Amino acid sequence: MEGFDLLYNGFINSLTMVNLFACFIGALIGTIVGVLPGLGPTATMALMLPFTLSYGPTTGLIMMTGVWYGAMYGGSTTSILVNIPGEAASVVTCLDGYQMSKKGRAGAALAMVAVGSFVAGTLGILGLQFFAPFLGNAALSFGPPEFLSFMILAFVLLSNLSSDAPLKGALMIAFGLFLSSIGINPMDSYPRFTFGSDTLMQGIDFLPIAMGLFGISEILNIALETYVKPEVNKIRLKDLYPSREEVRRSIAPTLRGSVLGFFVGLLPGPCTVISTFVSYSLEKRIAKNPGAFGHGAVEGVVAPESANNSAVMGSMIPLLTLGIPFAAPSAIMLAGLRMHNVEPGPMLFTTNPDVFWTFIAAMYLGNIMLLILNLPLVGLFGKIAVIRPQILMPVISLICLVGVYSVRNSFFDVWVMIAAGVVGFFLLKWKYPIAPFIIGVVLGPTTENSLRQTLMTFKGDLSLILNRRLSVTLLALAVAFLAYKFASPYLGKKFALKVEPDNTL
Amino acid sequence: MEKTSGSRLEACFVFLMFVLGVVITAISWGYGFGSLRRPGPGLYPVFIGVMICIFTLSILVSTVRSKAGGPVLDKEGAKRLLLMAGTFCLWIVAMPLLGYVVVTCLATYAFCKIMKLEGWWKPLAVSVGTTLFIYLMFDYWLYVDFPRGILG
Repeated sequence: MEGFDLLYNGFINSLTMVNLFACFIGALIGTIVGVLPGLGPTATMALMLPFTLSYGPTTGLIMMTGVWYGAMYGGSTTSILVNIPGEAASVVTCLDGYQMSKKGRAGAALAMVAVGSFVAGTLGILGLQFFAPFLGNAALSFGPPEFLSFMILAFVLLSNLSSDAPLKGALMIAFGLFLSSIGINPMDSYPRFTFGSDTLMQGIDFLPIAMGLFGISEILNIALETYVKPEVNKIRLKDLYPSREEVRRSIAPTLRGSVLGFFVGLLPGPCTVISTFVSYSLEKRIAKNPGAFGHGAVEGVVAPESANNSAVMGSMIPLLTLGIPFAAPSAIMLAGLRMHNVEPGPMLFTTNPDVFWTFIAAMYLGNIMLLILNLPLVGLFGKIAVIRPQILMPVISLICLVGVYSVRNSFFDVWVMIAAGVVGFFLLKWKYPIAPFIIGVVLGPTTENSLRQTLMTFKGDLSLILNRRLSVTLLALAVAFLAYKFASPYLGKKFALKVEPDNTL
Repeated sequence: MEKTSGSRLEACFVFLMFVLGVVITAISWGYGFGSLRRPGPGLYPVFIGVMICIFTLSILVSTVRSKAGGPVLDKEGAKRLLLMAGTFCLWIVAMPLLGYVVVTCLATYAFCKIMKLEGWWKPLAVSVGTTLFIYLMFDYWLYVDFPRGILG
């Protein structure tokens, strides 16, 4: 019963004007960002960090999750209406969503996606509510060797799942870890890579790096592209009614997508994107008529969209229970919580239980808000999709500049953001994954502490890590994954790790 | 197939990253590696530096071997990228002198023109609107202390 009391208190706390407003603003901005091609939820969340500083950690967490969540809802709108995915997790939705739109079923597709996302989101929150405290308690037994082993497993999975070239992912993690080591090392107060600069003594702040890599680089990318005005079909409220047959066919894929997405969310890497590909592949594989996929099958629209919504909630579990973000948006959330002096991890449930339970309650409310927002306002969001980047990008550029400056009143941070943006632009062009870099920056201090404490505990004999059962399991998983990765080209197609659908966009 | 300027540029970039890896390792060694029993402040960055060297060397080999990949930017794209980056830099340099209101308005106008927003009133409307939004949001609401410059 204690859980329900805490949840009840969470609802009481979340029903304040500030938290409800934060939830609404986050959901609204997230939906708009999801609708607009280009700027993704990660950049937007980074952009909103300065605003959250004026309020408490819970309000900040609610607002940022609202953005992430809203982007998952909104991303499907442009995929269905104009065949342009608003963000990466909606790429798969284009395959059947746009085909439904061409058949005059856009309204029904949007309605089914909104309801499916709501169901998946609610199931995801339920999963988070029940699993997180349980895993948090289990994580209390984690010592430095377990954390170190967990980091190694996370880095192996992250570098392999984030891009086609695992070495590029691994290099990005290494650079992220290096960047986090700049400044005074808290373990022995020794300044590293500061070259006598007072500014570098404090280290390089996370926010300008994130905004540069995810925001400025994307702005530069869009600025250099030729703009083609999309044609958007008008949607009326009465068009939103799906047929009985469409509803019947959507129920099972929604539930399957929700469960699958939640568990994929636990993996390191772009979990929301992976969840959509895996879910689409699964639906196609088990469908009675797989030939309908790619030609407007409602299952191919609702399943991936449900999966990406519950994946958001799944990926909150490692963040909240271990303090380890597995995806770029959750890395931004960790940075935001640290700005408020809240350290997520096993102790969160004992030291700051109100943060967790208020967050859970606010997510239930946010999910309802998103459903209300997305159904009647779908026509309006469709219109937002055609705002020209020539108007939008200059505005976002200036908000990025001012936003980064406002956090510490530091021009150095703005220089860092611009440099990161230009480097990020070329990294994107050469297909280097950005997310592992950001996660490396955030996890750097924890990795170093775990490594040094493990070495000191074992008096330099790292083989003693094999005496720790959990560490051995985690390391064995990392080795098994690497072995599988090396062996899979020789094992044939049947054993290949395939997450992409057959159709290419 | 001939080697493209895009992959040459990437190879140069990866080589620079390799050099950076070597520099990181060398500097970190100077901080004191310590021993595995008593790690010094340089131990962790030495590991990272060595990892960067290994990864960059492997990527460099595959980049040099690869012949795929067109140019990252054409002439027009490179010009636009430089103009965008230049405007970002000018915003920082000019802000303490002219104050954030004027500089923000001018920078937004410049971005609109670089991105080929036609006419003069649309860019003007966007820049005035953006400046007003930033004033209300950051100055009026969040009390951010911006440089006012000689124009007050």
